Amino acid sequence: MSFPTGITNINNFAPELPVQAAEDLLSTPMFNLIHSFGVDLHHAEAYIGKTTRMSRFERLSTDGGQLDGSGIDPASEVPVRTDIDATMEIYAKSIVTNEQVVLYENSKTLTKFTALLGQWLREKEDLLMRDLFSSSVSYINCTGGTNGDQPSNISLNDVNNIETILLNNDARTMLVSIDAENKFSTGPTRDAFIALASTNLTNDLQKVQGVLLKNAYPAQQGLRPEEYCSISRFRFFVSSKGAKTPGISTLGRTVYTIPMYGLEAAAKIEQNSYTAVIGYRPPWVVSSVAQNSQLYAKFAIARAITNQNWISGLNTTTYNPS
Amino acid sequence: MPFTILYGDSFVSDGTAKKILLPGNADYFKFVNQTQTPLAGTTCIAGEWYGAKFGAGATAVNDGTRWRKAASNAVLIDTFQTAVASNGFTYVATTPVIEAQNAAAITAITAATPAVVTQAAHGYSNGDIIQFYGTTGMLQISGLNFQISGVTANSYTLVGLAAAGFAAPATAGFTRRISKFLAVDPQFLFITAVSKATQMVVTFSVDPSAYYVVGMKMEFSIPFGLGMTELNSLTGTILSINAATYQMTFDINSTAFTTFVFPVSAQAALTPLFATAAPAGASTKRDPNTFVETGYNFQYQAFKTGQFTPYMVLGGGGAGNATGAIGDVINYIAYKLEN
Repeated sequence: MSFPTGITNINNFAPELPVQAAEDLLSTPMFNLIHSFGVDLHHAEAYIGKTTRMSRFERLSTDGGQLDGSGIDPASEVPVRTDIDATMEIYAKSIVTNEQVVLYENSKTLTKFTALLGQWLREKEDLLMRDLFSSSVSYINCTGGTNGDQPSNISLNDVNNIETILLNNDARTMLVSIDAENKFSTGPTRDAFIALASTNLTNDLQKVQGVLLKNAYPAQQGLRPEEYCSISRFRFFVSSKGAKTPGISTLGRTVYTIPMYGLEAAAKIEQNSYTAVIGYRPPWVVSSVAQNSQLYAKFAIARAITNQNWISGLNTTTYNPS
Repeated sequence: MPFTILYGDSFVSDGTAKKILLPGNADYFKFVNQTQTPLAGTTCIAGEWYGAKFGAGATAVNDGTRWRKAASNAVLIDTFQTAVASNGFTYVATTPVIEAQNAAAITAITAATPAVVTQAAHGYSNGDIIQFYGTTGMLQISGLNFQISGVTANSYTLVGLAAAGFAAPATAGFTRRISKFLAVDPQFLFITAVSKATQMVVTFSVDPSAYYVVGMKMEFSIPFGLGMTELNSLTGTILSINAATYQMTFDINSTAFTTFVFPVSAQAALTPLFATAAPAGASTKRDPNTFVETGYNFQYQAFKTGQFTPYMVLGGGGAGNATGAIGDVINYIAYKLEN
């Protein structure tokens, strides 16, 4: 039972404006962008075709070569040039806005939408590079784990196998070492290749023998927020959009693909004058009664694996089915 | 927010599901069975599909609005799932690794060359690529892609799998049809056999001519346990391609290499499958006698988006289904919202 008290409160006298905006917008979710920062960046000039060719001279044979005094010259060798081509592609996204939204929203609607398109540019580029890694590289199935699947969950032995492959092919590490410091519970990292993994693998990464979680690095300056840990000669970066294929393990589980590579393994080519085009179509262009306007974003990108010998990686499943 | 007509055409039904490519995506799709419309009977005569932009009104997977005739020749309207479950519209708009379908069970794979799979009412077509998992007896092919040929109602052949030396046939397992092209071309391929020859011949699990041309280079990945470790990390140039046998010849002399051995079933759990080959560019050459240049084929050689195109699958054949009876002429048209 309630008794009237005569006190004016929010139950008998509601505010005129029931809501107010908080001082700032909440964050728009954005996944970790891990698939672009480790690749070489090239630029394509405008007006000279859509295919970019990257060329590499293969090294000469080191067999023979000794002059034995006979006066006979050693056999000459024809240098071999390997050409890697990449085709430029254009991607676009638009937002159509009714004038009433612009009129009634609190402020700067178009600015907010422009920011959304900017985020789309970064995210789309990241996924395109991820797709390159998952489609055009050879991967080795993990077998050192104990989950009984093929591929198995990840183990130190599996990681070391990839290091051997890269070192046997003269790949160069990408990240410099972090020297040891006199701090408890920290350990140095060696100069390292990079590995890109799904966030679903973090539980398994923590259990790999010899793992050094990021907080145990002696120094934290300059580390990317996407970095998760260091295992052997690899530093792992994780993203919720890491490559995975559902249902293809022997037991029908999701298989996660971990690209692992060093310097100059892959390339991203940006088109000059077209790396990020943001535009606005005013309402009198979009709509006959000038009510709808349009924002758009476009970018051009080409991508390629530039040296297959310097990139490899693992197919893995999780210990707990996922 | 007007519609734009995206694409339209007609086809003659063969009594099975029909896959219709829709470049540019679609928001609305309809078809009319021109053959059945004027006839009496209980046949489906038309159908409509609404895309995701219709929100709550969007068509569920495998469903769609259906117009059909009653025995009295009156027109009735229902949905495909009401009467003939899963035989309406299936729309796929993003690059799928695994196509929109349920896994299907197999009952046997012969230990023969080439291997033959027994699978009741599989619904696959010649040239489809399928992936096995959960295979019993042949653990070593779980996770491997194969292109199929020689399709009959309940079986098909795996040209790329020489299983005559396998320890045992498979007695059970599952398959899924996967996209013919991965997200990026050229893509890596699975190796099932490698010859020892002055010009090495490599057998792949799919027809390589869809992805590679003469003059391109490939880098080989041969995990330990499969033999021929000398080939691991070598790069070779393609000299010829045999689309019938899924083989390519390379400029690598493998005569002195150890023998490549596709793992027997018992090894599969410990052997880091699979042997693969991945694109490694090209070296341009010009034959002065034939004037043929190799390594200049931008169409294949350059890295680019895979050839995925959004598509609509009209459900399987039959009187009540979207693709009607054999010989029915069906018109279809796809629309796209401009905004």
